[in-house]
Amino acid sequence: MNSLKKILIIGSGQAAIYAASEFRKNDKYSSITIFGNENHHPYERPPLSKEFLMDKKKKDEFLFFSKNFFDDHNVCFINKKIDSVDFKNKYLISFDNKKYFYDKLLITTGSTNRKVEIDKEIDNEIYYLRNLDEANKIKKKASEVNNIAIIGGGFIGLEIASSLNQQNKSVNVIEISNQLMGRIIPSPIANLVKAEHEKNGNKIHLDSKIKSIEKINDAFKILLENDHIIETEMIIGGIGSIPTTDLFNNSDLELKNGILTNKYNQTSVENVYAAGDVSNFYHPLYKKNIRLESYQHAQNQGINAGKNIAGIKSEYLSVPWMWSDQFDLNLQLTGLCDDYHEIIERGVDTENGIIHFFIKDDKIVGACGLGLVGKVGRDIRIASKLIEKQTIIDKKILSDLNQKLNPLLKK
Amino acid sequence: MAEENWIEVGKVDSIDMEDLIRFDHAEKTFCVYRIEDGFYATDGICTHEEVHLEDGLVMDDEIECPMHQGIFNIKTGEAISPPACDDLKTYPVKVENDLVYINIP
Ligand SMILES: Cc1cc2nc3c(=O)[nH]c(=O)nc-3n(C[C@H](O)[C@H](O)[C@H](O)COP(=O)(O)OP(=O)(O)OC[C@H]3O[C@@H](n4cnc5c(N)ncnc54)[C@H](O)[C@@H]3O)c2cc1C
Ligand code: FES
Repeated sequence: MNSLKKILIIGSGQAAIYAASEFRKNDKYSSITIFGNENHHPYERPPLSKEFLMDKKKKDEFLFFSKNFFDDHNVCFINKKIDSVDFKNKYLISFDNKKYFYDKLLITTGSTNRKVEIDKEIDNEIYYLRNLDEANKIKKKASEVNNIAIIGGGFIGLEIASSLNQQNKSVNVIEISNQLMGRIIPSPIANLVKAEHEKNGNKIHLDSKIKSIEKINDAFKILLENDHIIETEMIIGGIGSIPTTDLFNNSDLELKNGILTNKYNQTSVENVYAAGDVSNFYHPLYKKNIRLESYQHAQNQGINAGKNIAGIKSEYLSVPWMWSDQFDLNLQLTGLCDDYHEIIERGVDTENGIIHFFIKDDKIVGACGLGLVGKVGRDIRIASKLIEKQTIIDKKILSDLNQKLNPLLKK
Repeated sequence: MAEENWIEVGKVDSIDMEDLIRFDHAEKTFCVYRIEDGFYATDGICTHEEVHLEDGLVMDDEIECPMHQGIFNIKTGEAISPPACDDLKTYPVKVENDLVYINIP
C-alpha cells in the first residue's frame, strides 16, 4: 500500500494533539509520530496561570483527551527535542543526532516567552510561565515568599497576579505602557480590569519603565524611572512571546513573525505544514496574514492541519477568539479590533457584562466583553458569527439591552 | 422501566423559542430548552469545566458553552465540538396543560 504515509509532528502541544486526532479520523493506517520536548502528556496551558497556580486543579484534570490517547489512536510520542530539519531530504535531526524521515511534516512548536533583559545576574533569577515545569517552579517559590513583582501587564502577567493574590500574596504589576493588556483592549475595559485588581489589593504601576534592579540578600529592589521603588522577593516576567522558529533559521522555510502559511496550513516548503502559535497564516476573511496566540486557534487550526495532511482540502476560516480569567471576571475578545470606524457599547456593569463592538462599514469586525463568568460568552459568540457572515448590522440593537442579539443571526 | 419523577419546570412561555432556562432541583442544575422541534433538557453544567450552560448560545438543536465554545447536541447530549468531549446527560421533558415537566430519576 504505497498510499501509507509517514507523518511527523514537531511540538506536542494543543495544535499537535488536535491535528493528530483529526488526521487519524481520516486516515486509519498511516503512521503519526509526535516529537515533544516536554515530558508530559499534552495538556491545556490556560489553567497554568489560573486554577493550577491557585491549587484548584491538578495536572491530570487538564490533559487533552485521555491518557490513553496515543495507544487508542495509534500515535507514537517521542520525548525528544528536534534541533533542525533537512527540508530537501525530508528528515528531522533530534538533539541526540538521530534522523527521522517524513513524507509530511507538521510544525507546532508554539511560542517562547520573551525574556526581560536588565542585568545578567538578575535576569537569571526571573521566573516565566509557559509550561507545567515552570508553573511548578513558580508555585514552589511563591509558597516561600510574600511579595511578588510581575513585569508586564498583559493577559498572562495579570492572570498570574490574580491567582497569586488569591493565594494571599502581595503583588505589584509593572507595565511600561499607559494601559493594561495592550492597545487591542478598549481602554474602558482595561480600566475595569485594573480596578478589579486594585480592589483586591494588587498594585498596578502603569507608564512604568524599570531603571534598575538591585539584589539585596534574597530580595530585590526595583527602581522605576519615575523614581518609585518596589521591594520584592520574587520577580516574574510576562512581557509577551515570540514564535518558536529558531530551529528553522537559515533553512528554506519562509519566516516572518512565525512560519508563513496559507489558508490550507501549507508553508513555503512542499509537504510541510504549520499550525498554532507558530504560524503566521493567511486569513481569507481579513485578506492578510495574522498570527494568534490562543487556545481556540491552536485547537481549530490544528484540526484543519490534520484534515489537509490527510488529503482533505480545507480552508482555515475561524474568526479569532480568546479569553482571560482574572478574579471573578471573564474577558473575551473576538475578531480583530485594530481597524474600525466606531465602537458601540452594550451593558453598563460587569455583573451583567459589558461589550464593546467594533464597527466598520456597518459590520462588526471585532468585539471585546468583560463580565462575571458566563455573562459575555453568548453575545461575543454571536459577534463572532456575525463577523464571519459579514452581516450588515442594525446598530441600535447592539446597544439595546432589551433586545436579544440572537435574532441577528437569522438575517 | 425507568423510574418516573416528573417535576414542574414552569410555563411554556417562560422559555423563549431557541433559548433555554436554568432549572435547579435537589442540588442539581439542569437546562431546559425550547427549540423548533419541542422541549428538551440536559444537565446544566458543561462537561469540560464546571461552568453553567444557562448563558450559552442555543442555535437550532445545539447549545454552545459560553466559556470555551464547546458544543453539545440538545436532543442527544452528544459533545459535537471541542474542547467538550464528554456528552451531557439528557432528561425526558413533557408539556401538559401549558406546563413544562422534566423527568429527573
Ligand atoms: C500560561 C498560559 C495561559 C494561557 N491562557 C490562555 C487563555 O486563557 N485563553 C486563550 O485563549 N489562550 C491562552 N493561552 C494560549 C494557548 O495556551 C496557546 O495559544 C496554545 O497552547 C498554543 O498551542 P500550540 O500547539 O501552538 O503551542 P504549545 O501548546 O505551546 O505547544 C508547543 C510545544 O512544542 C514544544 N516544542 C517547541 N520546540 C520544540 C522542538 N524543537 N522540539 C520538540 N518540541 C518542541 C514546546 O515545548 C511545546 O510543548 C495561554 C498560554 C499560556 C502559556
Ligand atoms: S467550560 Fe464549557 S467548553 Fe470549557
